[in-house]
Amino acid sequence: MVFTSLNFLLFFPAVILLFYATPIKFRWLTLLVASYFFYLNIEPVFGLLTALITVSTYSCTRLIDKAEEDSKKRVFMYINIAIVLLPLFFFKYFIPINEGIFDMLEMYDMRWGLPKISFLLPVGISYYTFMAIGYTVDVYNEEMEAEKNIGIVALFIAFFPLVLSGPIERATNMIPQFKSGMKLDPANFSPGLKLMLWGYFMKLVVADRTAIYVDAVYNNVALHSGDSILLASTLYPIQVYADLGGYSLIAIGVSRILGLEVMHNFNRPFFATSMAVFWRRWHISLIKWLTDYLYTPLAFSFRKYGIWGIVLALMITFILSGIWHGATLGFLVWGILQGIFLSVEALANKRRSKLVKRFNLKNNFIYTVFSIGFTFVLFAISEVFIRAVTIDDSLLVFKKILFEPGPIFLDKTTWAYSFIGITILLLRDFREEYFPEKKQFFNSENIIVRFGSYLFIALTILWIGVLNGGQFIYFQF
Amino acid sequence: MERKEIVHKLTQVFHKTFDTTDLELTDVMTANDVDNWDSLTHMVLIGDVEKEFGIKFKLKELNKMNTVGHLIDMVADKTGRLQVQN
Repeated sequence: MVFTSLNFLLFFPAVILLFYATPIKFRWLTLLVASYFFYLNIEPVFGLLTALITVSTYSCTRLIDKAEEDSKKRVFMYINIAIVLLPLFFFKYFIPINEGIFDMLEMYDMRWGLPKISFLLPVGISYYTFMAIGYTVDVYNEEMEAEKNIGIVALFIAFFPLVLSGPIERATNMIPQFKSGMKLDPANFSPGLKLMLWGYFMKLVVADRTAIYVDAVYNNVALHSGDSILLASTLYPIQVYADLGGYSLIAIGVSRILGLEVMHNFNRPFFATSMAVFWRRWHISLIKWLTDYLYTPLAFSFRKYGIWGIVLALMITFILSGIWHGATLGFLVWGILQGIFLSVEALANKRRSKLVKRFNLKNNFIYTVFSIGFTFVLFAISEVFIRAVTIDDSLLVFKKILFEPGPIFLDKTTWAYSFIGITILLLRDFREEYFPEKKQFFNSENIIVRFGSYLFIALTILWIGVLNGGQFIYFQF
Repeated sequence: MERKEIVHKLTQVFHKTFDTTDLELTDVMTANDVDNWDSLTHMVLIGDVEKEFGIKFKLKELNKMNTVGHLIDMVADKTGRLQVQN
């Protein structure tokens, strides 16, 4: 039952009704039951996994709080991190490790063909695993006390709007909200519904439409011309933005209607003027998580090496981030590339600021456009390694783009629809970036403009949205 | 070490790390007020401060350091403790 399914459109209003019919004291319980109902309807068996992670996290955080010595607290923290990470490692890296061993056996003629056992990756495992680890570390760092009600911890880990694909929230933000009286506030409905509407637009109109073209080209790289591949490679980052960005907005909007504030996940990433800025705007909840729980401890322990310590910490963080996305060489290359881009930027930072000061480039139009374009190109290059899956295909993509131009393959309807969606999305981001107070639509004071724009976006979704269940890219992580 | 002296020395460290000469430290100053002070340069700054004052921070302490005022207090606290030991 994903957000774009018809079932969700029945489930969610039912949850809202139940939620508000429950006495305030027990509303967390309604949400918990709804969350498990939601998750069990996707993959029943894996509900055991979220329950197990809950029990382990609850027990260890309580033990951290009770222990007197720091060394003991640390042991409990590490025990829980190990327990929570175990299923992630097992499910995520089981298949690649298996394949690797099979390949080796085959190489030495020792492969004995028996039926294979295949495993599914539990939906959302990467997300709730990270949330549980973050909570454990926060308790160890005395950012918050361990929660005494196991039901609240269970809700934090399985909260249905976030369980499938984030945003990867923090216990410091969510647990106090779950515990405070979740009161009925009609003022939350309108902003929540607006976020959902825009999220559905991004997901169904932009992402799923664009996916049709990108998939057509990328599923058959060898047959397509360099120009078609260039176009598909330019569209792919936009597709991913609309996909995860749209899905996140629906999650944030759903939470908002329930009266819960959830962090934003994307902030107009394609207007970033450097990779460092880009990574503060793209998949923000993941990057914040990595910064706090991985990069900072690493950089801290390497701090005596100055800027080179930073470079090392960046490389390790992004390589692990790549592997977190998937156990393929493509993701590894992607992580290495991000690490290199950011490191080179960090090393050149002083020189760049001097240049900007000297030629007064800060508000220079051409410099800004160039920086935005350059940042996009770097990111798009790294994304090729993800979309093309294998390294051979990725290299073929670059080879064809550079040396084998040719007529562009155009499926006119798809291209026209997708163009309309992308234009609306980027224009809206452009306005928000540079003229946040001007030309408001969803928040216009004029009631006709406001309702007109809701209607326009809703009709666009019905008109050109892909309503027959496109795949969601980020569930697989 | 007196607070004034700490601020004076810290200012020099800030100038070196952020490559500037016209930065005046205030208690309420945060990373948002200083050009180039981001998560990357932050750790370089911490390393430089430790070297300058001969002190060591803990990671837990860094999480609680939100303003330049906090940083000054922490340096004062640590250098004070060093003097007592000496």
